[in-house]
Amino acid sequence: MARQIYQAIVDGILVGGVYALMAVGLTLIFGVLDIINIAQGVLVILGAYLSYELSVRIHLDLFLGLLVTVTAMFVIGVVIQWAFIRRLRGRERTSMTLLVTYAVALIIEGVLYEIYGPNPKQLNASYVQSSVHVLGFYLSYIYLYGFVLALALVVAIYALLYRTRFGRSVRATMQDETAARLIGIDVNRVAAVTFGVGVAVTAAGGMMFGATNAFNPNSGYDLISRLLAIIILGGLGSIGGALVASVFMLTLESLVTIWSPEWAIVVFYAALVVVLVIRPAGFFGRQPVRAQ
Amino acid sequence: MTALLRTEGVRKAYGGVHALDSCTVEVEEGSVAGLIGPNGSGKTTLFNVITGYAKADEGHVYLGDRPITNVAPDRVFALGIGRTFQLTRIFASLTVLENMLVASPNGRAAARRRAMEQLEFVGIAGHHAALAGTLSYGQRKLLELAYVLVADPAVILLDEPAGGVNLSLVNTIADRIRELNASGKTFLIVEHNMEFVMGLCDRVTVLDSGAVVAAGPPAIIRTDRRVLNAYLGEDLAEDDPHPGQQSVEQP
Repeated sequence: MARQIYQAIVDGILVGGVYALMAVGLTLIFGVLDIINIAQGVLVILGAYLSYELSVRIHLDLFLGLLVTVTAMFVIGVVIQWAFIRRLRGRERTSMTLLVTYAVALIIEGVLYEIYGPNPKQLNASYVQSSVHVLGFYLSYIYLYGFVLALALVVAIYALLYRTRFGRSVRATMQDETAARLIGIDVNRVAAVTFGVGVAVTAAGGMMFGATNAFNPNSGYDLISRLLAIIILGGLGSIGGALVASVFMLTLESLVTIWSPEWAIVVFYAALVVVLVIRPAGFFGRQPVRAQ
Repeated sequence: MTALLRTEGVRKAYGGVHALDSCTVEVEEGSVAGLIGPNGSGKTTLFNVITGYAKADEGHVYLGDRPITNVAPDRVFALGIGRTFQLTRIFASLTVLENMLVASPNGRAAARRRAMEQLEFVGIAGHHAALAGTLSYGQRKLLELAYVLVADPAVILLDEPAGGVNLSLVNTIADRIRELNASGKTFLIVEHNMEFVMGLCDRVTVLDSGAVVAAGPPAIIRTDRRVLNAYLGEDLAEDDPHPGQQSVEQP
């Protein structure tokens, strides 16, 4: 039994890395723009389909393909922000963006359905099915790579936010958009680029999700509720919090699965409630979680 | 002397309330101009219109000969108008130095050097690595002044720079303004502290209910009966044995 528990912990940590790849973009967008991007789950699936196209049609390695898909998703993110979100202003902005991003999700899902239909797909590569035996544990290569990629992306986003001029502009805009405008920051550009980065990161999450799960155009809806739970638990807007919460939630779920797979999903959300009762701002949030 | 900053007939209404009504104000290049008036007279609204944060319903704003009416705030800043706020709006979770660098248009090394120079100028360089949120209110005022200076604006709008700070710091702020003015900077200052305004400004414009009621040198403004009635109160009125005897420019 002890061995099963240890393996479940290792699996949970590695799968948590995959979820972190999907969640960091969502929390970044919330932290800077104060909006919940409901389309994030469907965008993950879009990222998976883009990786699928590159892999099947031109046989590009899944990780090399990220150079293309991350760029493409960045552009898609900027276009979504420019076309749909930029115009929303005023007191109802946050609630309106829920509806708008939900509409964006429906549009993307519809397009994917038209192209690919309902049949599930899965990404494949030599390292997707193989694993390595370390200290008595079987570690899947794809999850190992995914975890390293998640750590690298979190570090990269931190570097972007804390080591660059653009990052300072982002943090200033997060705190006081009005003051930021009045000292010369183009907050529209900050918003567009931030949304683009948040969506671009999703390309990596989509590739990892597609390599470890079968997916179809509807898969995004299962994901978004889990991603929302993760970023709330991590502390809305906290990049590191998203990583920690992903690992925590998926490890917990993995442990409960040993005894009862049916209860694992319930425990996932029950853990969220319990943690928020004790710590309303989540693991790394600076303020109480806002009602959305 | 020519007007470096000019508003002409600016109107701004919020619903049925006229915050600004045909407001014409001129700030000469190299001067320190004051803008006074009772609470709600439109001073901060005028700052908001000049800096593009609020859109004028009518009228024009010029920087030199360049029309800047309703230009976006970040563009106004880039064109050379910096401003501070009545209640300081520093970025509390950024360090003091990061606050400076956010406002800087220069490259990395040059920006850092200039930022440190400005922090030394206002006397808070020793706090450059501290989070701005840990500064005292007076130090925040100084930081706000410093980060406006870092972009080297042609005109600096200060909204109540002496508000809520101790006398010693008020004198420090006044000294810094004088030094900057001596080096060619132009100021437009909103302030309720009359000693501060009268001791610092070359020219004072008085707003009441969104309209200019008087404009001229401080010595004349402080003796105008309409101004005394509208704003300055009994204390200053009683100080002057012959109020209202000198001529005041009509708007």
